[in-house]
Amino acid sequence: MGYVAVKGGTEAIHNASELAEFYRVKDNTTPIDVKQIRTQMRLAIDKVMGEGGIYAPEYAAIALKQAEGDVYEAAFILRAFRTTLQRNYYTEEINTREMFVRRKISASFREIPGGQVLGPTRDYTQRTLDTAKATETTADIHLFLEQVDAKIDPEKLQEINSFGKVIDLLKNEGLLKPIDPSDDRKLVDITREAIKFPAPRSARLQMMARAETGGLMALGYSSQRGFGGVHPTVGELRYGTVPLRVKDASGRLRYIGKIEVTECEMVTGSKPGKKNTPPYFTIGYGLCFGHNETKVICMSTLDSAMRRPELGAPANDQEFVLYHTEGVEAMGFTNHLKLPHYVTFQSILSNTRASVERSKKANLEAEAWRQLASV
Amino acid sequence: MDKPTERMENRDYILCECELEPLERFVASLEEKFEAKIAKAPSVCMTMIQAADSVEHQEFYLGEALTTECEVLIHGQRGYGVCLGDEPVRSYCIAFIDALAQLPGADLSYVEAFLAEQESIINKAAQLEYNQIMRTKVDFKLMEEE
Repeated sequence: MGYVAVKGGTEAIHNASELAEFYRVKDNTTPIDVKQIRTQMRLAIDKVMGEGGIYAPEYAAIALKQAEGDVYEAAFILRAFRTTLQRNYYTEEINTREMFVRRKISASFREIPGGQVLGPTRDYTQRTLDTAKATETTADIHLFLEQVDAKIDPEKLQEINSFGKVIDLLKNEGLLKPIDPSDDRKLVDITREAIKFPAPRSARLQMMARAETGGLMALGYSSQRGFGGVHPTVGELRYGTVPLRVKDASGRLRYIGKIEVTECEMVTGSKPGKKNTPPYFTIGYGLCFGHNETKVICMSTLDSAMRRPELGAPANDQEFVLYHTEGVEAMGFTNHLKLPHYVTFQSILSNTRASVERSKKANLEAEAWRQLASV
Repeated sequence: MDKPTERMENRDYILCECELEPLERFVASLEEKFEAKIAKAPSVCMTMIQAADSVEHQEFYLGEALTTECEVLIHGQRGYGVCLGDEPVRSYCIAFIDALAQLPGADLSYVEAFLAEQESIINKAAQLEYNQIMRTKVDFKLMEEE
């Protein structure tokens, strides 16, 4: 399929855009406050930021409002916005060991450093529709907050701790795969240079960090189901905030704020090495903006899968994984199919008609020969 | 709330994490004593976040963060304000206090008092949140242990 330019339709396009806005507000309801979206649609905001590749909760909330709740469209808007600004800083490498932990769990070990902290999760509750939400009032929210506050005795507060990592248990026992010296450890930036395959691991992790959650889930799930042989267990999954530091124009290291991230270290099955080498565990790594556990679980599964291309399943093929989980590009290409392809299609139509005519003519000739032969 | 590390400037941490309204009020009160010139008006830009996997330490770029930066001059001393988000007022206030903190001979006792007050509020809120989170700490028992 090729592209062809069309012209005209400016007024209709303008009117269509206006009509979309009309449908957003036509019922004349109270405008949704951006702060409400940011706080009460927390997980949607995190998806928009994660897939847009930019940490900006307020702007993500605006984009989500503008896109009428379409997370793909909102991520697209943020991705486009990102390109309008100059990049003036690079942070120091973030350290998730200094995370202010809101949740950390392990499916591999029952006892982990600092204990399992469930944090804000719906994992262990039934997904029943809470119809009371339909009539929730500000007073209800205040009452709930008061009740939660009352469960803490301000005179008996524990001191804040950071926690060691579960993978250290495996590392200290020497059970992790040593770093392969043949790995391409080059640090590349896929927003500045087009990705080439085979891509170094830094590019793969960066692309997955801003990939679309559903795409990662589809391919991660395919691997978990056996297409490609990665049998993962969550070594540790943690969610919380980490500080960011940059060097300012005078060269001094400055704290500039904190961001929420979710991190997953996925332990992949023990595998015998070459002859006379012991089996080992490998760790797949996932890290993304905000609170998005599905994304990091699948990212870390695919990180492991892509390091075993010899297995040959879609999830082991880095080009297949990275191109098809890039939500903004995938959505852009899919939706471009709606745009005018008149000339291209006319060409296909013309070829098809000619082919049908040739076929009819050939059939007639064949029939004429059969009749002659039967005389 | 994150525990400030040794490397982190405690002042920046407090100024980035405190409520905007008291910070703005405090800096406005200082403007009466110190004339500030804006060398670079607050503007938004991008900051690329660097990360690394926790086992092999493979570095990679996680994504960018919206950032506001500002530069202020007080008696020729330049201060820099950088913070996350679209925060023109906060970045100005950080730059103002940064310039003041570097100004030779300036009396910073009232700045220190403000920072101490705000730090106490930030830490209290963080500790309360932490204690709410710790209410969800669990000790799973294996079935045969029951």
